[in-house]
Amino acid sequence: MKQRSWIAVGLLSLAALLTLAPFVWLFCASLKTNEHFFGSTLLPLREQGLGIDWSKLSFENYRRLFQELDFARALANSVFLSSVTGLLATFCCAAGGYALARFHFRGRGLVTACVLGAMLVPAPLLLAPGYQLLHSIGLLDSLAGLVIPAIAPAFGIFLFRQASLSSVPVELLEAARIDGCSEFRTFTIVALPLIRPMIGTFLMMTFLGVWNNFITPQVVLQSPERFPLSVAVAQFRGVYYQDYGLQMAGTVIGVIPVLILFLALQREFVSGLTSGALKG
Amino acid sequence: MFATRATPDRDGSPISSGVWILIVLALVSSAALAFWPSGRRDSRTMWLFAKPHQDTYTPIIDEWNRLRDPDIETILLGRAALDRRLLSSFLSGTPAADLIEAERQNAARAFTGSLDAVGFVDLTDRIDAEGIRSRINPPSFAPWMSRGRIFGLPHDVHPVMLGYRADVFEAARIDVDSIRTWDDFERVLRPLMDTNGDGEPDRYLLNLWETSTDHIEVLLLQAGGGFFDDAGRVIIDSPINARVLARIVAWCQGPRRIAADAPNFTASGNQLKAEGFVLSSFFPDWMCDVWKHELPQLAGKIKLMPLPAWDEGERRTSVWGGTMLGIPRSAVKSPEDFEELWSFAKHLYLSKDLATDLYRSSGIVTPVVEFWSDPVFDEPDAYFASQPKGRMYIGLAPQVPARTSSPYNTLALSRVQDALVQLSEETRRTRQYDEARLRERASHYLKRAHDMVAAQIERNVFLSSAGGVP
Repeated sequence: MKQRSWIAVGLLSLAALLTLAPFVWLFCASLKTNEHFFGSTLLPLREQGLGIDWSKLSFENYRRLFQELDFARALANSVFLSSVTGLLATFCCAAGGYALARFHFRGRGLVTACVLGAMLVPAPLLLAPGYQLLHSIGLLDSLAGLVIPAIAPAFGIFLFRQASLSSVPVELLEAARIDGCSEFRTFTIVALPLIRPMIGTFLMMTFLGVWNNFITPQVVLQSPERFPLSVAVAQFRGVYYQDYGLQMAGTVIGVIPVLILFLALQREFVSGLTSGALKG
Repeated sequence: MFATRATPDRDGSPISSGVWILIVLALVSSAALAFWPSGRRDSRTMWLFAKPHQDTYTPIIDEWNRLRDPDIETILLGRAALDRRLLSSFLSGTPAADLIEAERQNAARAFTGSLDAVGFVDLTDRIDAEGIRSRINPPSFAPWMSRGRIFGLPHDVHPVMLGYRADVFEAARIDVDSIRTWDDFERVLRPLMDTNGDGEPDRYLLNLWETSTDHIEVLLLQAGGGFFDDAGRVIIDSPINARVLARIVAWCQGPRRIAADAPNFTASGNQLKAEGFVLSSFFPDWMCDVWKHELPQLAGKIKLMPLPAWDEGERRTSVWGGTMLGIPRSAVKSPEDFEELWSFAKHLYLSKDLATDLYRSSGIVTPVVEFWSDPVFDEPDAYFASQPKGRMYIGLAPQVPARTSSPYNTLALSRVQDALVQLSEETRRTRQYDEARLRERASHYLKRAHDMVAAQIERNVFLSSAGGVP
């Protein structure tokens, strides 16, 4: 038994090493200049001092990001877009899904069918009409033009509908109403806590989706001061040549906030993913 | 087990610590953006796609803005984003900048419809009236002309030379002046491929592969081939093109192989170049600066020479890339608007300061002929073993072949590449490397490509009635 556990630890450590290797490479690459970029796989080596040639490593790329290239603004844009969209989308989807699951109203079946149908439309198909619509309502080149279309995705509404059906007992809602609870309080105080794992999962997914989204902001936004990190990093990709170290430093900065958020939300994220996987 | 630990009823709150973090982030970032100083001004905008261009233009634009109102503001876009916005603007009227610096492939897409529907202002009459046509190297207008009309001011010439590993060539006592044709190139340099004497190649003479579309076009244009003639008719199945394709296949496989793939703009390609796996590459003027940035370790080891000709005494250069400055029709609401934008366009592109700064910062040679005598072009370049590369490029500039402005050029290039890949596959299978046979088979595949492109153009009533393309 003990031997088997050591084997498992060994295999898991190997898997962890393989997973972490690209991040280690990324960080090492972000410390190199173009001149030394291709000279070594990870860190530049020499014979003296720990075997690492420290003179070829610097935080110059990070300094340039924030002092020369206004990367802080892109970081703020990304945090704003991801957090605001994530929160609004989660609230709207939870409310929409709950309504579809627990309210009986005329046309409920049709609305549910429309939500399901909307999930079948590939996102790239919506890019051109979405652009035209944003232009006609004056939201092109604005952060609102990215947030508003993303606050009620069909997938989220359907996800919360299913979560409400399986996790929110009708009897509990009726008891709350008998006790004089308003519909909004019933939703926020009774229903939301019951679907909390799904909230964490959906919030995480939305945050990551918006954080990593490249195409939509690239098409909708025109002013560099509104670019999120994904587009700002892509701007470093020059037409004539690449500043690899700068790109890697930008990518490192892009990864860190997501990593922190995942660590903060991982318990709910995992529980949301596994809820419903076990009976009882 | 996880589900039990995360039971929502445990504390009864729908909001976990993670959600609180997000709420705080949303509030802080909203406040930060609300109070962030805005850089927006009431100004004319100019879209461009290359950071080095933007950096070079900044002092000239700053000077312009100091003296005039409204200001000009540059906005840097990725090429794909520029392409989409340009088309959206021209086809559906979405907003565009007041001036657009477009790359050849981007701009060509604007020439698909009737002349009236081209999204750029027709500059032909003003260019002729103000004598600008005679000031600019004639081939530089070609990519921006459609059906005889000019829609942009040219930014460059982009002659192509061959960059070679001077350290290797000189160690082997090779006199590059003796290499006048591609046949000479193969014959004189072949011994360099085997470094350990085992009869097998250890490195290759030319950075080229069957899938390198840019290189294929460079060689086709150098040979006098291409996809469209001066009248705009499709000429893909020409004997010249067949000869070039046959030669490329012979260079990439079989007993005459001299080429290997070290892709430009990639880390792996740079590594192969640095290691000397390929000994020469195509060098348009703008490529010089790319190498300086990406391969600084080769400083002093690279030299430039004119491309070997396809036949003795023929053209020793080609062309790769191209940029123009155009004024979108949507930006011109009144004659005053046009005058203001046109003045700026001339001030920028016909400026001597720009010509010298652009050369110093990006290695790009100006198309304005009167500036070619500037001493900046005679300066020795340390990266290229102190060669006066500017003067060398200028010496070749008048020979640069004309580039087409056809919106079907990308399609034609794809179909010709398909033909080349089919020819390569067949040759790998049959192992018949005889040049006459390769040419015959190349003609066969090119005929197919020709028919496909011609059929596509035929569907475009604006261009088919005009004889083909610009």
